[in-house]
Amino acid sequence: MKKFIKWIFSGWMLILFFAGFFLFWEYSIPLFDIPRYILPAPSEIILKGSADLDKLIYYTGVTALETVLGYIIALILGLGFGIAISFSSILRRTLYPFFVSIEMTPKIAFAPLFISWFGFGLMPKVIIVVLVCFFPIVLNAILAFNSLSNELTLFYQSTGASRLKTFFTIRLPAALPQCFVGFKYAAINATVGATIAEFIGSDKGLGFYISIVTGNMRPDLAFAGIFFLTCLGLSVFGFVTMMEKILIPWHISMKRINK
Amino acid sequence: MKNFIEITELKKVFGNGVDEVHAFGPATMNINAGEFVSILGPSGCGKSTLMLMVAGLLDSTSGKVEFEKKLVNGPKTDIGIMFQDNTLVPWRTVRGNIELQLELRGLNLKDYQEQINNILKSVNLEDFAERFPNELSGGMQQRAAFCQAMIHDPKIILLDEPLGKLDAMTREKIRADFQKLWMVKKPTVIFVTHSIEEAVQLSNRVILITPRPGKIDREIKIDLPYPRDLKVKRSPKFTEYVNSIQEVFHKYGVI
Repeated sequence: MKKFIKWIFSGWMLILFFAGFFLFWEYSIPLFDIPRYILPAPSEIILKGSADLDKLIYYTGVTALETVLGYIIALILGLGFGIAISFSSILRRTLYPFFVSIEMTPKIAFAPLFISWFGFGLMPKVIIVVLVCFFPIVLNAILAFNSLSNELTLFYQSTGASRLKTFFTIRLPAALPQCFVGFKYAAINATVGATIAEFIGSDKGLGFYISIVTGNMRPDLAFAGIFFLTCLGLSVFGFVTMMEKILIPWHISMKRINK
Repeated sequence: MKNFIEITELKKVFGNGVDEVHAFGPATMNINAGEFVSILGPSGCGKSTLMLMVAGLLDSTSGKVEFEKKLVNGPKTDIGIMFQDNTLVPWRTVRGNIELQLELRGLNLKDYQEQINNILKSVNLEDFAERFPNELSGGMQQRAAFCQAMIHDPKIILLDEPLGKLDAMTREKIRADFQKLWMVKKPTVIFVTHSIEEAVQLSNRVILITPRPGKIDREIKIDLPYPRDLKVKRSPKFTEYVNSIQEVFHKYGVI
């Protein structure tokens, strides 16, 4: 409880800033006479948005499913390929440069193609989310598994331990902090991918909702959709950050002390 | 036992063609069981390379290393090894890091708990067993790493400038710790260093390596009684050894 109060107190400046920001927004609309079809006030967004709440919640579920499914698939594939490439010199000379060059292409450019190949359903969205999440995960995993210090490598060699045992006792834990850099970056990308995929072609989801209501000159509802999208993005990112805290608590505490 | 380790015409060349770098050798020497031998030389002379080849952790270009007449042709596992940058992992406590050595070797942790406590006590770390490495000072980390390298009672200990990054006072203290443990357990120690004083204080024998490509210039037997505490360090004989070694390196323009 004490911790909670301390936390609230340490966050008071941020809370104050947010409050100030929304107050400024609220009162600058009448003050500068901004038409509501350009920018609605926060109070109006809440009011109109809550009338559409059922739809918004349903669409959040749709987008969340695409995001989470795509993210999990990217996580499994990315880690798998990352480890395989780290431990195989053949893959390192073939797949790795291939991945690096594809990384340079904006993956989202493939989105219209996937929609035209696979239609309006769940699959093309999941594929696009996988595509935007896969590369940060795989590239960071390769980096992570290749950056074990020379000393630790020599140390485990001098113990005669098997490769499998070394992997689980040294290589994997040592790689996790750098892996999480990729996981977090991918978590940010995931909702972006899902939203853009829905912009391009879909009949449900928050991206679809935002593009439709914007077309109907309803920026208030668009902001309501953006609010739910932000909540979704924060939840995904928050979950990954929580997993980081649970899986590598030593890394977090190390950062804190080094500050 | 005489000639416990035999090193014959050992040589290392890195790279090939234009990129070729002659790092070490050829050099021939013998080390007796239970001996504390220092490999002393300027930085870049290939002394670490020599140590890794002895441990079988690095292939030699030519020549051979034998332990009790058995050829080394892969990583040796009956050794303890310690580097300038320690091999403590940040996700384990000091105790956990010492146990890491045992776990990787498939030894039973329960059988070693008392030994872990004893070795920690001998280097004054008993109160820090449950601390993480990043909570310790550099000197304490090196002492923990020393426990990690020693816990499985290796017959051979390889130390690659383990005190290189520490301040003068801490070095002094840890040298004394090393000496104490060596005198009790009598392992064979190969100690790579560029500190003349350190080499003279700790070793039975100092092997002087020339600048790159490292070759053996000469060996100096250090005939001083153990334990070599401050009194011994202040003796004229100690200073004489240090001076004579300094002269050799002065000749090479190293100092």
